[in-house]
Amino acid sequence: MAAKEKEYDVLIVGSGHSGGMAANILTQKGISCLMLNAGPQADFARDRVVKPVYELPYRGFGQPGRHPHIYQANEFNANQWVDEREVPYTYDPDKPYNWVRVRLLGGRSLFWARESFRLSDYEFKAAEIDGTGDSWPIALADLDPYYSRVEAIFRVTGRKEAWPQFPDGNFVENTYPADSETIRKVIDLATARGIGCSKGRSSMGQNGLASSVNLLLPDALATGKLDIVPNAIVREISIDRNTGLASGAHFVDRHTGREMHVKARVVVLAAGCLESTRLLLNSGIANSSGVMGHYLIDQIYGINVVASVPEARDGKAPQGLMGGNTFMPRFRNLKKGEKRNFIKGYCVRISSGQDANPEYFAAYGEELRKKLASYAGSCVSGGIYGERVARFENHVRINRDVKDAWGIPVLHIVAQDSDNERNLAKDAADTIDELFHAAGWEPVSRTERYNPPGYSIHELGTCRMGDNPKTSVLNKYNQSHDIKNLFVVDGAAFVTCGWQNPTMTILALSMRASEYCAEQMRTGSI
Amino acid sequence: MKRRRFLQAIAAAPAAPLAAQQAAPPAAPPSQFRGGQAAPPLQTTAADLTAAATAPAFFTPDQFAALRRLGSLLQPPMNGHPGAPEAGAPEFLDFLLGVSPPDRQLLYSNGLHALNAQAGKQFEKSFADLDDRQADAILRPLLVTIPWPEDLPRDPLRHFLAQAQRDFRTATENSREWAASDAASGRRRGRGFGGGSGLYWLPIDPVVKG
Repeated sequence: MAAKEKEYDVLIVGSGHSGGMAANILTQKGISCLMLNAGPQADFARDRVVKPVYELPYRGFGQPGRHPHIYQANEFNANQWVDEREVPYTYDPDKPYNWVRVRLLGGRSLFWARESFRLSDYEFKAAEIDGTGDSWPIALADLDPYYSRVEAIFRVTGRKEAWPQFPDGNFVENTYPADSETIRKVIDLATARGIGCSKGRSSMGQNGLASSVNLLLPDALATGKLDIVPNAIVREISIDRNTGLASGAHFVDRHTGREMHVKARVVVLAAGCLESTRLLLNSGIANSSGVMGHYLIDQIYGINVVASVPEARDGKAPQGLMGGNTFMPRFRNLKKGEKRNFIKGYCVRISSGQDANPEYFAAYGEELRKKLASYAGSCVSGGIYGERVARFENHVRINRDVKDAWGIPVLHIVAQDSDNERNLAKDAADTIDELFHAAGWEPVSRTERYNPPGYSIHELGTCRMGDNPKTSVLNKYNQSHDIKNLFVVDGAAFVTCGWQNPTMTILALSMRASEYCAEQMRTGSI
Repeated sequence: MKRRRFLQAIAAAPAAPLAAQQAAPPAAPPSQFRGGQAAPPLQTTAADLTAAATAPAFFTPDQFAALRRLGSLLQPPMNGHPGAPEAGAPEFLDFLLGVSPPDRQLLYSNGLHALNAQAGKQFEKSFADLDDRQADAILRPLLVTIPWPEDLPRDPLRHFLAQAQRDFRTATENSREWAASDAASGRRRGRGFGGGSGLYWLPIDPVVKG
């Protein structure tokens, strides 16, 4: 081992929201940290140029076959995503999985949609509500103060409702424009059916960016306690044979393939749910429970129900009729004993004033153009974010037959939906359809289909937390049951996923875990 | 000193002793490198703005003729915008299909072959030679609605037609000609697609394989 190898207090693997929060908290407590990030740093000024679409090599189609599983990719943003030819993964042909990754410094925090929700006790205490499955070892009350601090940093806007399934937060004051007539009609009809309508909640961040690179890492760097190394691909956590504790990590330089090692007293994994789990599985550690890799979950994004408002057709919509949106947080299975053919729930987004998609009509040429012109701006549409059930059989494991460009074995992902997800989606489509029918609008299109697992970019679980070391990988502070100086602070710790964007919860958990870690280090417990 | 004489001078200079080399201050960059950095970029022209044309290379002549006719039907000139042929969409799709996965190539090749076969059977003509009414008799029964973008029809010919309609629309609306028609008529261009502009991410610190 090189004589000059310095020992850091904490090694943080990954630089997204969870890693950024860990660095922010730990360094401000005087703890020296090294952050390794698998990819380079993007320079927003240098690496982006304004181009007309006709100047792109593939006229906006993108290079055929480059990102077959990233539906969010287009030719403008193609270079921001991980190329699966470079870092592949495998899956059974009949069970496709969309693994959407960013390895730039800041990770996916550079590009997220900024929807900012808290989980509720309907998710934390899910087993009590559902009568099956598992609950988290923590409740909303445990995370509440951390959520509040995160919301202040990220400047979250939202409308307070005092609904238990939609916990309020530490919101920046916001005003909303008056709802259009169509949205008011939806709200009236939904309210009459016991469905509450609110507004979305969103992180404003700073200058339109709510990333670790502008909200978390600058303060950490300012302490002088953080070193960030880009292009460092961690392939294995090293273990001290005498103590059984984590001692650092072996990593590979992305450009040269040079193998290196770094020592640390504590290791914090924040590489993104599946990359953290891949690293642990490849290291062969922290899995005495045997559940590592299991209970993979993410959210259903999909269904699409569209209607057209007759009075808005042919450009005749009067002022105030169309436009705007409303948001219906979970309203199913909130009461014990509610009889449905699915457990858990979904939220609904309704938007007004849209054009019709050309593919809603069996027409072409001038006939299609006339239809599109007639329906322009007259459409109201609804879609959902729904909760998938955490099941043992949905899992990831190492496929040693396939290696990435740096010789590291890849993940094999097994994720499949059950009737619960399909019944939930059908209920959502029926509910929206019925609202539009009651409003007297013309049906245009309807589908109960939703995107494949992974599409939401909210992969969660696989190192779930729990009080029982035999059925969970982490304790309630995101600390490994097996290795006390090892923490996993990203979405891998989730027990249930809820319908909510998980970012606020990941940030709050990472903040809480990092403060716990710092205190454990201060007292010499780790 | 002129550049050639400078190069001759440094080539003729004796090698300095090692100690002297170590003691010497860092050398300024040779002037010929500074001169190279100062050259302003020259004006260049996109190939499609010159007399250069794309020669169809993937489809057979019969297939390409059918593709071109199909484009003229699905995406004719409308509302001041160019149609697919005027936007060079058939030639672009010929290129795109040539670099596409085999299943997509087969979908198009078989689809165009089927259109020609059907035109021969119903009208004893190639698809490219059908008038609008005759072509409509073939196309209309194949049209479908697509409520979910991934749910293209299972029937190969309907699948082909739905895909071709989608591709002709994109290739036409994202063309230079479409943008020019917007500019000429004073229409606002959209952001990203539909002839508009967007923020393009260049390759970010790519790994260079030597």
